[in-house]
Formats: sequence, structure tokens, C-alpha cells
Amino acid sequence: MSTDTPRLRPPQHRVDPRAVRWWTTRSLAVTVPLTVIPVVPALIWEPVRPWFLIAAAVIGGLGLLITVVMPRWRYRVHRWEVTDTAVYTSSGWLWQEWRVAPMSRIQTVDTERGPLQRAFGLSSVTVTTASAAGPIEIAGLDHALATRVADRLTETTQAVPGDAT
Amino acid sequence: MTTVQPPPTDRTPLGDWQGIHPLSVWADTAVGAVFIVPTAIIGTVVLVVLGHPWWAVAPLPGALALIAGLTAVDMVILRAISYRVTDERMEMRSGVFAKTYRSVPRERVRSVDVAAPLYTRPFGLCSVTIGTGEQAGSDRLKLQFVTVAQGERLRRELLHRAGAGGPTPEGAETDETTGLELARLDPRWFSYAPATTATLGIGIGAIAALIGANAQSEGWIYRWISEQAGLPSTAEIGSFVMTRALVVVPLSLLTLLVSGAVVLLAVAVETWWDYRLTREGDGTVRLRRGLLTSVSLSVEGRRLNGVTLHEPFVLRAVGGAAVRAVATGLSAGDDEKTQAKSRLSPAMPRARARTLAADLMRTPESPLDPPLTPHPRAALRRRFVRAGWAAVAGLVVAGTLTWLHSLATAAWWEVAHGIEEELNPLPVATYAVESAPAWGWWVLGAAFGAMAFWYAFGSYRALGHGLHPRYLVVRQGMAVRDTVALERSAVIGWRITRSPFQRRVGLASVSATTAAGEGVYTATDVGLGQGLAWAEEAVPDLLTEFLERDTGPGVESGGGRG
Repeated sequence: MSTDTPRLRPPQHRVDPRAVRWWTTRSLAVTVPLTVIPVVPALIWEPVRPWFLIAAAVIGGLGLLITVVMPRWRYRVHRWEVTDTAVYTSSGWLWQEWRVAPMSRIQTVDTERGPLQRAFGLSSVTVTTASAAGPIEIAGLDHALATRVADRLTETTQAVPGDAT
Repeated sequence: MTTVQPPPTDRTPLGDWQGIHPLSVWADTAVGAVFIVPTAIIGTVVLVVLGHPWWAVAPLPGALALIAGLTAVDMVILRAISYRVTDERMEMRSGVFAKTYRSVPRERVRSVDVAAPLYTRPFGLCSVTIGTGEQAGSDRLKLQFVTVAQGERLRRELLHRAGAGGPTPEGAETDETTGLELARLDPRWFSYAPATTATLGIGIGAIAALIGANAQSEGWIYRWISEQAGLPSTAEIGSFVMTRALVVVPLSLLTLLVSGAVVLLAVAVETWWDYRLTREGDGTVRLRRGLLTSVSLSVEGRRLNGVTLHEPFVLRAVGGAAVRAVATGLSAGDDEKTQAKSRLSPAMPRARARTLAADLMRTPESPLDPPLTPHPRAALRRRFVRAGWAAVAGLVVAGTLTWLHSLATAAWWEVAHGIEEELNPLPVATYAVESAPAWGWWVLGAAFGAMAFWYAFGSYRALGHGLHPRYLVVRQGMAVRDTVALERSAVIGWRITRSPFQRRVGLASVSATTAAGEGVYTATDVGLGQGLAWAEEAVPDLLTEFLERDTGPGVESGGGRG
């Protein structure tokens, strides 16, 4: 590639380190039940026991691998930045996504705290535009910080005229 | 309730609360009667034939009572509906028990859709659907039904806010002549209607429905027909077909194609009859079409943010294309409905479609004309890899089938013929398979693989992106090729996605997000640098501060490796 090909620079801020624990818990919350489901018939029904145990082992192994790898990987990728003119985020792990939305096109700004996020003192900031591409979400911010970010975004967007389409 | 005082006219001013036209109840009643009364008559006849003359008295009065009841309910519901258009808002009240009040700011009205189905036309009624820019499909108002004059007035005045001084007083003026005509139906365009992959499918569907009905009746339909017509037995026909496959196979394919073409032609005539596309004096683009259900759709000029040149494979092969709108406020519940609503033209010659697209965008040079930048070779390699996997899968299936074929004994074939005879009055398929050589499967598998590579190459060649002074252009698709021109000022953000495979070969999918049309328009598998440079140039300043050039020291990209 030539020297002046542009690259995306990562957004300035990482999310809160506690997000790693949050993602780990979330992943376990899916992995554990999925692993247990085939174990139940294995305990009850003797003839199929080996097959169901193998299934449980495969699911459990994969789930555990994801639980170990995914949160750390996500922590390296998930970043966010709010400038005077735009919101810029990156997210994902295997499949990664970068989003940019100008302030003038932002319609609503919300903070959200699921029960799990609350347990870790985290919040998400959701920024919607008029596009069907879905909202931009900054997940795993410290709760106080998330509120400050949302306030700042709301202030800035209100200052910019236009109907956001 | 701060209504403006519009200048006195002989008609009800739009600023006042108005009801739905009472005739719409009778339209509903008429439709109900068309279905209910014949059913009742059939019921009466059946009861008489079965020897229950006393019961036979019941159906007709019952049906009439039902219709009367429905009409009464309809009338109550209708009384509760009222709407008004004020300076700022369009408001609607409805509901008998649960009252609803909906209000839409007039500046958010993006499209007005006036439809007159066949059964409302004798009553001089039409329905009006008002679309706003909201992504949620619920934020639409539908008036069912108002008089044609009211509908026309709503259409004109809701989109016409140039004066911003409320409802235009001289609403009686007809715009018919002031509109600039962009396109008008050319009946020759109907010849493009059957040019879809669906033609054969619809023919097969029609035949399959017949076979299905026959199987439902356990074969007696076919037996009856063949007795009446004196047809030879199925076995004789089967052997006849097998000996003359070279004549019969093309002939039956032709039958399928012709029956499919007839159906599609009928659909096209019903949809596009009397097609006219005009630009009204105030910039509104207005589409009128339809034989049985006449439709009029108006889109505010500045909400028309782009056009799509839509070329499905078969249509493309015969040099046709259709134009679709990329507009805010045309979105319906789901993607499919949105696409159906955004059609601005029937299939027409490609050159005509390009001219129409340019006229719609009011640009001297068509945004679809400039050559598009091809995507990197890596995009082609990705497609070839996928085609390779498809080919391998095809060969595995072919191998399995060959193996089964060589295993199959006479007894198996007996069973297979038996099953097919149950389902199909002309059981030739399994005979054909039995008499075909085993290596035939390999030929099919290899043909499938070759097709996959041809498809991969075609879909790579379709990829492209470019810039017009006012528009950004993306093109993709082999089965359905869409060239989208989107106004650069309508871009409301960027989304860049990279799969692990794309990261390995330096590709990315760069999408412009917008409020119009489908919401996201993507340059798929573009080189990362190439795509970012394109995006930066298309919408200056938005992306610039988040880009870095390789010449700088550069910050380590967060987890950009896998």
C-alpha cells in the first residue's frame, strides 16, 4: 500500500476494565446452561449417556474457550471517543465494527443499565440516529462516566440545529 | 385547539375536524355482501338438495342480519374517526372504547400515498397513507376512506409547505398540467415483465399445485380426466415420454415458461397500467399507476435522497432495468415492503432507466454514468474460495448420490416408482433417474461447481464504488445487481465492518448510513485504505479526524489481528 493510504485510528478511550468481568459473566451465563442441557438426559437415560456426555464436553469446551478469549479480546477492541463534532466507537472481537456519527445527526441519547451491568457498576450509552443501521452503543462504561458522556452528548446535540435526517 | 382561520371557501376548510366519508361504510358493506350473500345462497341450495327445506330458510336472513350488524359496527367505528390538518400538525382521533389520538408535525410528513382499490372506485373514495421519517413503522397515519377530492387535497397540501402559512387557500387549482412529466408508460415495456427467474418457478408452482390437488384426491382427478379424454395409461405415456425425451422435455419447459409469463404479464399490467411519473410544481415527485387498484404516491422532492438502478439477473441479460427511490419516509414494516413501495418504474430498457434516474436527480450528468472503481483482487479471491467450498460440497453430494445409485437394486426402484406414482400422475422422474448412467451425478456436480465459479466472478465484477459531485455510488450483486446513487449530504454516519477473513487480506465493508431507503448502503469487500479514502472524500470532515496516514508514527490498532 502507498504511504498515504488512510487507516482508522483507534478511538481514544478504552472502556472500563470491569467490562472484562462483565463479559465473562455474560458468556458463562450462556455457556453453563447450554452445557447442562445435554447432561440431564445423560444422567437419566443410561444407553445414550456417552453421546450426550461427549456433546456436553464439546459445548462446554467451546464455551469455556470463548469465555476466556472473548472478554480480553473485546477489551482490546472496544473503544470510544466523543469529539465536538462526532461520536466514534469500535467494537466486536472476531467480527469488528467501527462507527462514526456526526453530532448534527444524533436523535436520542440514552444510558442503560441491565441487572448484570449494574452488578459491576457499569452502564451503556446508546446513541440513535435516523438510520436503520441501528444505534451506536458504548457498552461497559463506569456508571458515573456514562452519565457524564450522555449529558455532554445531549447538550451538544441540542445546540446543533436540524431534524437529524 | 388553536385552529387557524383559513379564508372562506365553499368547501370544508382543512383546519377543521373532519370525518371519514360515510360512503366508506357502504363500500365495506358492498365488499362484505359480495362474499357473504353468495355463500348464503349456496348454503340454501345445499340445504334444499339435502332435504332440509325448513333449515334452508335460515342462511339468507342470517347473512343479511350479519351484514347489517357489521355495517352498524362499522358506522360506529367510523363516527369515532376524525382528522384535521392545522398549520403545524396533522391530527387524527379514532377508537370507540379505547380512544387514540395521533398527531404528526406537518414538517415530518415525507410521503403521501393515495390508493383507490377497485371496490371503492364506484363510491368515489380512496385511502390515504401518510408516511413520516420515523424508522418505527408505527408512525404512519392511514385514512380509510375519504373522497377522491379530499385525498387529492391532502396529498397536495400536506407536502406543500412552501408558504408555511397553513393550508393553501386556493386548493381548487389542479396541478395536472403544471407537473413536469418524467416518464409515462410505454406498453412495449411489458415485454420485460416475464424476464425474471420467477417465470419458470411460477410455471412449476402452477403445475405443482395441480399435481398436489391430484394427490389430495388420491388420483381420481387425473383418472377422470384421462377417462373423459381417452388418454392412454400412465405407463404408456411414461414410456412414450422416455422414448421421445428430446421432444417432450423442451416442450414441457416451454409450457412452464409460457404459463409463468402469462401470470407475470398479468401482474405487470395490473401494477403498472397508466403509469406516470411527474414532478409537480413544488418539487414533489408523484407516481401514478395501477389498473384495478390505482395508486398515487407522492414524495417530497428533498426527501428523495437517491435512486437505485435495479437489475435482476434475467432482466439484465435482456437489457432491462428498473428505477427505485432512495427516499426518507417510504419505509414500511420490513425490507421487502420498503422495496415494494420504493419502486418508481416498471422494468424498462436500461438506457431509458438511466435517463429517468438522471431526470429524477435533476443532474445534467447521470450519477450512474461515471465509471466505478473496481475492488481489490482479494475480493475476487474471497469469492473464489467460497465458490471452491460450494463446488466441494456439490461434488460430495454427487459422490454420495453415485454411491447410492450403484447400490440401488431393482427392489429399491420399485419402491421409488411406487412413491412417485402416488404423487405424480405422470411418473417419469424416477424412471429417468433409473435409466440415467451413474456418472450423470458427477456431471451435475461438476456443472454446479462451474456455475459457482462463474457466479463468483460475476459478483466480483459487479462490485464497484464511485463519486459524483453530489452523489456517492455503490454497486453490487450478481443475482440482483443494484447500483445505488445516494446524495452525499444525506449520509448520516459511517460503519466499517471487518470479518477475520477481511482483516487477513486487508479488506473491509464500508457502509454509509442514512435515514433514506434501506438505511445502510455498503461498499462490500473494498480495500480498507481505498474505502476510507472514498468515504472521506464523499463526506468531507466527518471521518478525517479519525484517520491516520501510514507516514505518521501511528498508534497500535486495538486488537486488529486475529
